[in-house]
Amino acid sequence: MVDVAILLSVGRHPVSGRARRAPTDARALEMALGLPAVRRTALHAGDPASPALRDYLGMGLDRLTVLAMAHGCDPVEPLAAHLRSLSPGIVLTGNRAEGGEDSGMLPYRVAHTLGVAIVPDVVAITVEAGGGAAEVVQALARGQRRALRVALPFVATIHPAAPSARPSAFGPARRGRIDSVPVEAPPDAFLAACAARPWRDRPKRLTVGAPGSGGALDRLRAATEAKAGQGRLLVGPSPDEAALAIYECLQEQGVLPR
Amino acid sequence: MSEQHPTARRRDPRAERAARTVRVEPRRRLVLSVDVVPQTGGRPRRDPRARRAEAIVQSVPRLRLDWTGKAVGASALPTVEGRGPRAASEPVLRVIDDPACLLFAVLDRPDGALSGHDRQVLAAARLLADAAGGAVVAVVPDGGEDLGALGADRVLPLPAAWADEYAPERRAAAVAAAIARWSPRHILFAESQDGGDLARRVAVACGERLFAGVESLSSARAARRAGGGATELGCAPPRLLSIAADAVAPLGAVRHEARRLDPPPEPDGVPALQGARRLPVDPDGVGLGEADFIVSAGNGVTDWDAFAALGRALGATRAGSRVVCDAGHLPRDRQVGASGTVVSARCYLAFGIAGAPQHLQGIGGVERVIAVNTDLHAAMIKRADLAIIADAQAVMPALVRLARERGHG
Ligand SMILES: Cc1cc2nc3c(=O)[nH]c(=O)nc-3n(C[C@H](O)[C@H](O)[C@H](O)COP(=O)(O)OP(=O)(O)OC[C@H]3O[C@@H](n4cnc5c(N)ncnc54)[C@H](O)[C@@H]3O)c2cc1C
Ligand SMILES: Nc1ncnc2c1ncn2[C@@H]1O[C@H](COP(=O)(O)O)[C@@H](O)[C@H]1O
Repeated sequence: MVDVAILLSVGRHPVSGRARRAPTDARALEMALGLPAVRRTALHAGDPASPALRDYLGMGLDRLTVLAMAHGCDPVEPLAAHLRSLSPGIVLTGNRAEGGEDSGMLPYRVAHTLGVAIVPDVVAITVEAGGGAAEVVQALARGQRRALRVALPFVATIHPAAPSARPSAFGPARRGRIDSVPVEAPPDAFLAACAARPWRDRPKRLTVGAPGSGGALDRLRAATEAKAGQGRLLVGPSPDEAALAIYECLQEQGVLPR
Repeated sequence: MSEQHPTARRRDPRAERAARTVRVEPRRRLVLSVDVVPQTGGRPRRDPRARRAEAIVQSVPRLRLDWTGKAVGASALPTVEGRGPRAASEPVLRVIDDPACLLFAVLDRPDGALSGHDRQVLAAARLLADAAGGAVVAVVPDGGEDLGALGADRVLPLPAAWADEYAPERRAAAVAAAIARWSPRHILFAESQDGGDLARRVAVACGERLFAGVESLSSARAARRAGGGATELGCAPPRLLSIAADAVAPLGAVRHEARRLDPPPEPDGVPALQGARRLPVDPDGVGLGEADFIVSAGNGVTDWDAFAALGRALGATRAGSRVVCDAGHLPRDRQVGASGTVVSARCYLAFGIAGAPQHLQGIGGVERVIAVNTDLHAAMIKRADLAIIADAQAVMPALVRLARERGHG
């Protein structure tokens, strides 16, 4: 039995630009709903009137605490101060927000301010019987998974490969309560120093050919000629010879243990 | 035809006639003796045949010409296996003894080898260093690579074991200690999974903000994508930045000295993340685009039980050509090729696949291809690194048996 806090931000639909649940934050909430928790606290720092917050309530939350602050302020201090008063065992966040700075720094900064460990890219959490530690599973590239043991309390960021979030239902979304707590937050100077302009797609960089070697001819050749293999050829071996050759080649490549 | 020297001058008949003219009135009179004719004519004479011979890069299987003037004549060096015999000039060693500032390139070395992304980070660091007269310090778990050829002036080695182990906290502590010791002007990371995690840990340890996932970089401006992909944030390159994959082109032929610095002290303190271990995954549950090792079937496979057993025995993700998916032997999401999935596996084992262009497009990024086919002239055989001319139905059970003997599956 643990005490779980979930940090929820407001996402932005990539095509229409409308506010929505941020995808990994919704997965974090889904994971929190599946944990054997004594208390779940959902926190958002920002505008309490944002309609997207109701989508989170529609997933089955009773209430959502919003630390009301102006746009363009740094949410780390108020969130950390609020979390310190709650002292939850597990803090779940998305691994990347959508629509803000999107740097994925917030969980790290919150964890650092609270002085607790951070586990990135989590897809599953099992709390051990005593409630003193948890077994977490991380998603790696190429579909691989890694398991770790972490002592509570910790902050975990949720990977997009985590189980998908349940849909938001209208009734609970209307019934859920939004508690607004006004807070003081300093303006985000780092973000204010950056110039923002609409994103324009750049042409994809051609990565063919050895860089800097030769001229256009080499690049053309690398781009157009079909890649030829090293060309070891066995003609008409017995099945066992063929199997052995394949097996050794696989071992050499490192996909099979030696 | 007489031998033409490249420096021979072009004859100028008008000038010759003018030189031989002695009188124009009342009628033109010319001297006929030869020695009056000026020897130096007008423009130098070009020899198109010699020029063309010099431009030949290869003559078999097809004639290829390079008019940029850099090619060496094919007559001098016979073409080898279709590659242009261009003399690779060795880059000269660049030593930066007294740098104006230091730049850290914190490299990832995933799975114990430098990745293409790591090279791009070094190239980005080089770009910023050359503008500021600085030196690039590669901060990397110790390994055998020649970092000087990748653009590093100094190397700050971290313990070699950290490349394979999952030790993000110790890595971050070591990098933060090195930053405190050397105070570099910029610290660059790779925005990969582990590199991005390390970058954020170092950023909070230094109490600074990270400019994450830089998509375009010059010495004056760094830009990244934000606002759910809708906005571009730009500023002068900040102190900590992480470079997105394929945002910066890797360096060409360079040579730097890669002088080793004293490693930072090993951080003490017990890490909170412990007992990391890889979990076994169901290979068929992995998306085809992500899969690392694929065994693939084509129209030459008829024994589907043996194929399934092979996938299990080798722990490989199963896939097939379009014919196989059309026939319903495998689901559609297992189709490799232009109208299926473009795969990026390390190893691709193909049974009975002819290698149609649409299929080969799907395996363009595969590192090693092994093909088993009864037809010696199939395109797949040409593409393969190991090609076996044998019946797939006989090889598959033999391979399953061998894998079981060696203790897999
Ligand atoms: C628009 C378009 C898109 C397409 N997209 C794709 C795509 O995405 N992916 C794709 O795969 N195809 C695609 N195709 C189809 C493609 O052109 C080929 O038809 C297909 O790839 C052929 O599949 P195959 O090699 O399995 O079969 P085949 O061409 O029939 O080749 C079978 C091979 O197996 C060998 N063989 C036969 N018996 C044995 C045996 N006992 N042991 C070993 N070898 C044996 C034969 O020698 C032959 O080389 C596309 C086609 C079009 C027109
Ligand atoms: N204003 C906010 N209120 C609550 N949680 C937030 C807020 N901003 C970001 N987060 C959380 O931090 C994660 C990473 O955010 P970011 O660092 O902005 O990319 C998000 O997925 C959220 O879980």
